[in-house]
Amino acid sequence: MSGAGLSDSGAVADRIAELRDDFDRSFAQPARRHDVEHAELLAIGAGGRPYAMRLTQTAGLFPDRPVTALPGPLSALLGVAGFSGSIVPVYDLAALLGHAVADRPRWLVLAAGSPPLALAFHELHGHVQVPADSIISEGFGARDSLRGMVPLPGGTRPIVDVAAARAAVHQLTGHSHPDEEQSR
Amino acid sequence: MMRGRTFGSKLAGGFALTALLTLLMGIASVLALTIVVGGKNDVIDEASDGLVTAERLNTTIESRIGNYRAYLLNGKQEYLDLTNADRARFLDEVSELRAKLSSPVELAMLTTVAQTEAEHAALLAPVLERRKTVTDLRSISQLNTADVTPARQALQNAITALTARMRSDVSIAARHSSRQANAAVVIVIVLGVLSIASAVLIAVRLNRGLRRQVGTAVGHIQSSSAQLEAAAAQQVSGGRDQASAMSEITTTISELLISSRQIADSAQRVSLIAEETSEAALTGDATIDRTRQSITAIRTQVDQIVAHMLALGEKSQQIGGVVDLVSELAEQTNILAINATIEASGAGEWGRRFAVVAEEIRKLADRTAGSAKEIRTLIDDVRSAVNITVMATETGAKSVDAGSRQFDDATSSFRKIAELVATTNDATREIELSTKQQSTAVEQVNVAATDTTRVTRETEASATQTKQTAAHLASLSNDLLELVGTGRR
Repeated sequence: MSGAGLSDSGAVADRIAELRDDFDRSFAQPARRHDVEHAELLAIGAGGRPYAMRLTQTAGLFPDRPVTALPGPLSALLGVAGFSGSIVPVYDLAALLGHAVADRPRWLVLAAGSPPLALAFHELHGHVQVPADSIISEGFGARDSLRGMVPLPGGTRPIVDVAAARAAVHQLTGHSHPDEEQSR
Repeated sequence: MMRGRTFGSKLAGGFALTALLTLLMGIASVLALTIVVGGKNDVIDEASDGLVTAERLNTTIESRIGNYRAYLLNGKQEYLDLTNADRARFLDEVSELRAKLSSPVELAMLTTVAQTEAEHAALLAPVLERRKTVTDLRSISQLNTADVTPARQALQNAITALTARMRSDVSIAARHSSRQANAAVVIVIVLGVLSIASAVLIAVRLNRGLRRQVGTAVGHIQSSSAQLEAAAAQQVSGGRDQASAMSEITTTISELLISSRQIADSAQRVSLIAEETSEAALTGDATIDRTRQSITAIRTQVDQIVAHMLALGEKSQQIGGVVDLVSELAEQTNILAINATIEASGAGEWGRRFAVVAEEIRKLADRTAGSAKEIRTLIDDVRSAVNITVMATETGAKSVDAGSRQFDDATSSFRKIAELVATTNDATREIELSTKQQSTAVEQVNVAATDTTRVTRETEASATQTKQTAAHLASLSNDLLELVGTGRR
C-alpha cells in the first residue's frame, strides 16, 4: 500500500523527523553549481509517452491556462494564450513529435527565446535535477525535436529540445529562416 | 315322463297305476256281473212270475171249467161258488199279470185273453142261470152250451198263445242274458290281461329305472366316498400340521405376551419422558422470548452502526475535499517553485541562491503532494472500508431480519413441537392403556389357541373316523350294487 508510511503513527513520526532533518540540512549544505555539474529537467508526458525537457530552455510553466482556438490548417496549433500581457501561440508537443492524441493538454510551457512560443503537454511528472554527465547527448536528425536521453527513476526518457521544437514549428508555419527571426 | 321323479314316487305311481287298473277291472267286473245278474233276474222273473202266472191262468181257467162243469153236472151250489171264485181269482191273476208284463205284444195278448174270458163268462152266465132251474140230469142237454164251447176254446187258445209267447220271450231273454254274460266275461278277461300286462311293464320299467338310478347313485356314492376318504386323509394330515402350528402359535403368543408387557413398560417410560419433554418445552418458551428480545436489540444496534458508518463516510468525504485542497496548494507551490527556479537560472549568483530556496520549496511541495496523495489513498481506503462495512452491516441487518423470521418460524415450530409433545403424551398414555388391553387380549387369545389345539386334535380324530366311515360306505355301496344286480364286475 502506498500509504504504508502514513498508516502507522510511529512511521509518520519518523518521517516527520526525517523531513525536519532534511529541511535543516538544506540550510547547512554549500550552494551547488547548477549550470555546470547538474542539469535541471522537467519530467513530462506528452501523448502518453514520457519525455524530459531542460528547464534552462523554458521561460515558465503554467497549468490550466485558457487557450483560444484559432481556425487554421495546422492541427498542432491549439490556439493562442495570454502570458503577462502578450499573445503567445500554443502548439501541441505530442502533435509536433508526431503522435497526436485527442486529449486536450493541461500543461503549458513557455519556450525561452523569441518569438514567444508555448508548448502544450498532457502530464507533469516532476522537476528533477540530474548530474550533467548522466545525460547521453547524441545527434538526431535535423528535423527531429529530440536531443539526447536521460536515465530517470521509472525509465530512460528522451529529452525534448525546445529549440528544435521551435524550428519544427517554424518549418510547419513556412518560415524559411528562423535564425533571422530569432536574431531580430 | 318318469325322469326327474324320485324312485319312491315312481314306485308309488306304478303301484297306483296298477291299483287303478285293478280297480277298473273290478268295477268293470262288478258292472258286468250286475248286468248279467240283472238280465238273468229279468229272465228268471219273467220265467217265474209271468210264465207261472200265465200257467196259473191256464190252471185257474181249467179249474173254473172243471168247477162249472161239475156244477152243470150236479148243480151243487158249492161248485158254482167255486167257479165264481175261480173267475175272481182269474181276474185277479190277469190284473196281477198285467202289472208284471212290459212287452206290448204280451199286454195285447193278455187283453185278448181278458176279452175272450169276458166273452166266455158272458156266454157262460146264462147257462149257469138256466142250470139253477134244471133239476133233472136228463134235461142237462137242454142247456144250450154250443156257444160256450168255442168261447172256451178261444179262451184256452188265447191263454196258450200268451203262454207260448211268454215262453218264447223268456228264452229270448235267456239268450240275451247269456250273450251279455259272455261279453262281460270277455271284457273282464281283456281288462285282466291289460292289468297284468301293465303291471309287468311297470315292474320291468321300475326294475330298469331302479337299477339305472341306483347304479348311478352308487357310482356317485363310491366316487364321493373316495373323495371323502381322500379329504379325510388330507384333513388328518392337515389336522396334524394344524396342531403343530397351533402349538407354535401358542409359543409365539406367549412371547407376544411377554413383549406386549415390555411394550407397556416402555410406553409408561415414554409417557414419563414425554411429560419431562413438555416441561422442557415450557422452559424453552421463556428462553425463546429472551432470545427474541436479544435479536431486537441486535437489530437496533445494527441500525445505529449503519448510521455511524454513513456519518464516517461523509466525514471521510469532507476530509477528502480538504486533502484535494492541500493537493491543489501543493501543486501550485510546486509550479511556483519550478517557475522560480526558471527565473533564478537566469539571475546570476543571487538567482542561484534563490534557486536553492526554490528547490527546497519545490521539494516540500512535492512531499506535501505525496502526503496528500497518501492521505487521499487512505481516505479512499477508509471510504471503501466504510462502504464495505455498510454493505456488510446491511447484509448483517438483512441476515438479522432473516434470522428473526427464521427464529419466528423456529418459535412456531417449537410451539408446534410442544403441542405435538403434549399430543404425544396423550397418545403414549393411550398406547399404554391399549397395550395393557392388548396384553389381556393376548392372554385370552392364548387360552383360545390352547382350546383350538384341543379342538384340532379332536378334529383329527374325527377325520380318521370319517376316513374309516368313507371306506365302509364304499364297501356298502358295492354291496348295494350287488343287491340291485348292477354290481361292477
